[in-house]
Amino acid sequence: MDQLTRWVRRQFTTRVVVLMPVAIAINIVLGATVQQGLKLPIYLDSIGTILVGVLAGPLAGALTGILSNLIWGYLLPSPIGTTTIGPFAITAGVIGLLAGLWGQLGLFRPRRGRRGSLLAAAIAVVLVGALALYTYARAYASPDQFANITGYKTSDFDQSRVFFLGVMVAYVVLVGVALYLRRDVGAVLAIGAGLATGIVAAIVSAPIAAVVFGGVTGSGTDALVAAFRAGGDSLYQATLKQGLLSDPMDKMITSFVVFFIVGSLSRRFVSRFPNGEKAIGESPGTAPQDSPQS
Amino acid sequence: MASASPITAADAGLPDYVTRQPSGFYRSANPGTKLAVAALEVVAAFVLPGWVGPLLVLAVVLATAAMARRMRGLAAIALATSPIVGSILVINLFLLPGASDPIARLGPLAPTWSGLSFGLQTVARLLAFSLAIGLVYLTTAVDDLLADLARRGLGRRVIFVVGAAVQMVPATIERAGEIVDAQRSRGMDTEGRIWRRARGVLPLAAPVVFGALTEVEERTMALEARAFTAPGRQTLLRVPADRPKHRVVRWAAIIALIAMVVLRATGRLV
Repeated sequence: MDQLTRWVRRQFTTRVVVLMPVAIAINIVLGATVQQGLKLPIYLDSIGTILVGVLAGPLAGALTGILSNLIWGYLLPSPIGTTTIGPFAITAGVIGLLAGLWGQLGLFRPRRGRRGSLLAAAIAVVLVGALALYTYARAYASPDQFANITGYKTSDFDQSRVFFLGVMVAYVVLVGVALYLRRDVGAVLAIGAGLATGIVAAIVSAPIAAVVFGGVTGSGTDALVAAFRAGGDSLYQATLKQGLLSDPMDKMITSFVVFFIVGSLSRRFVSRFPNGEKAIGESPGTAPQDSPQS
Repeated sequence: MASASPITAADAGLPDYVTRQPSGFYRSANPGTKLAVAALEVVAAFVLPGWVGPLLVLAVVLATAAMARRMRGLAAIALATSPIVGSILVINLFLLPGASDPIARLGPLAPTWSGLSFGLQTVARLLAFSLAIGLVYLTTAVDDLLADLARRGLGRRVIFVVGAAVQMVPATIERAGEIVDAQRSRGMDTEGRIWRRARGVLPLAAPVVFGALTEVEERTMALEARAFTAPGRQTLLRVPADRPKHRVVRWAAIIALIAMVVLRATGRLV
């Protein structure tokens, strides 16, 4: 019992408590831009959640996710605040919880200069490429279909498609930078962690989307739900399939971004968080930095 | 020591204008009471069968909003849900699986009566859910809500996280605007063609994210310097009033909510 209390307390140091609102703000600002502004079939609203999970632990990650959606849904004014995001707090909590577990397992640690990076890169690129092509073919078959089945204007089609392609190109470029130039296999593990998180997130969020919103959430993912329902799927099947297309893609990109953010921060800054040493690995030849109570 | 009873501005030695004085039964209710009523309304909208739940909740919410003079704010929230309402209606009207009662034939498209009915019911439920919670937001200041939650024993860490996050979102958006201006002054095109704007996402997003993260260190020290982790309970400067009539409403809402869930779980509310 004492050990459990210590484990919980360790995840909520002052530094983590200060990081959490920053992470929540990043989640909301980026998420609102992508979902409400760009109408992409992804969300990008859990970068902060995964960052806190990786640096602080599963409970801190889960709480960040839950609070992000509750604050976004119920405490912010329109047009940022949107009550429809609130019920997905459960999914956000699970994402944070999983990110904490991946962080404790060291899946976001840089692993440079190891053999096998080429094979790992090939697997990652093929996997992501196949998913990207499938999403693209379903959501953007034609402007008329896009407009008819989603209710958006035809002008949204080009914008949404361009941004989708832009994100995919950026993703491929980042994978290339990580795996070929930096020889960093760690990126592949981070992508794998994102893939697993995305599948679990899809399974958790499908019943919420189906029961609360009839499968429609007002974001770019509606195009996918509409496409699946046009194909004869039931409500739950359509939302689950949409989730399985959007979530793994989204969480892979998010995990990859977090991997880069963690790698770009100074070792001294990262190592002061409860899971900091696991996130970046111990510094070779130097003693760990001070680890104050805060 | 934490104060358990509501204090007036005079008790705290503060001028009157420091504390807000909401009037009316709903607006002056304790935030906990408003949350309990909203929770009951949300559950009722989903648990009561067919049209009964959402329409009943909508009627109650609209009547409460009219009494609290918050109809305009509620209309803005309803308007904000219009994209999702449009999506729900269009998708269900044309693509409800198993629907075979067409309203008309429009080429390859066939809107159905059952799709329209299901879509409208989902919209009514969504509006009931959104407006019930929106009314709490419109009539409760965030600091009142946090003060009340702190009085009820919610940890200071959670209170800080929620309070800081609510302040930080507009600040982050403002910072993003400043970064856009700064980058534009250096020649970045933010209003041209889409691909040019897309190219500017990274120079805009990266300073926002890293700038926010670099503040963590300073804020940590600032909090520690103010004894954030000191043991013992903090003294609350202001506690929202909790009158007996509002306590009765709160407990009635909680009991009704539990009863509704139990009835639904046991199959007596189908």
